[in-house]
Amino acid sequence: MILEILSVGLIISACLAIFLDEAVYSVAALAGTLFLASLLYAFSDALFAAIFQFAVGAGTLAVLFLAGEMLSETSTKTSQKNLLLIIAVGVLLSLPAIFLSVSGTPSVLSGISFGEALWDSRAVDVVLQGLVIMTVALGIVIVLHEKRNGEK
Amino acid sequence: MMDYVILSLTLLAIGIYGLLTKRHLLKVFVSVELIATAATLNFVMLVPSLGKGLGEAFLILAFSTDTCVSGVILALLVVVHKKYGTSDIGDLVKMEEGKEKSEVEA
Repeated sequence: MILEILSVGLIISACLAIFLDEAVYSVAALAGTLFLASLLYAFSDALFAAIFQFAVGAGTLAVLFLAGEMLSETSTKTSQKNLLLIIAVGVLLSLPAIFLSVSGTPSVLSGISFGEALWDSRAVDVVLQGLVIMTVALGIVIVLHEKRNGEK
Repeated sequence: MMDYVILSLTLLAIGIYGLLTKRHLLKVFVSVELIATAATLNFVMLVPSLGKGLGEAFLILAFSTDTCVSGVILALLVVVHKKYGTSDIGDLVKMEEGKEKSEVEA
């Protein structure tokens, strides 16, 4: 039952993230989507995926809130009627998912702890992915720095 | 095998709809995030059939790719907003067209 409720919430918050007019509210709805996805993984015994989803989502959303505040130009507001319509569309869209699919229990971690999985089984992957992320972050910093120098 | 497939397909459809119809760059970014979430959900669902080790490796790869994509899109978003002063794709296209026209006239 809990998986079905989480699925409905996931689809509704995804619809709100797309259809809400205000950028900050849209980002808040996306935060709900990522949090519910994380909970869905946790309740499906995929603890490893849940923790990663939560960590990645928290980092992304912290930056997105700032960007949303900075980039929002118009002060349009979604009316109450439209909000209810979006929620209704979300519930309708989630019906096939509830009745046709959600029931299984995918298991990412079976019998081993998160620490063992992270540092014993997948240590090389984690280090390499960290290296990739660090390289991309450095690339972005260099691009923005060059851009700022070009403007001056 | 079919667990979560329809849920992730629904998320994917919402993301693609947003990607195609929304004109604000932040909404485009939100759509890309939803598509990435749908893909990750699929990976989680496929882990038991792939085998534990391979599934986890795919999962980490999906998360790190998602993070990299987010970083690049956010950097582009900030650069575009600083350069053009708008985040609307329609306005950006109009500005570029105007720029090209003035260059041709000159």
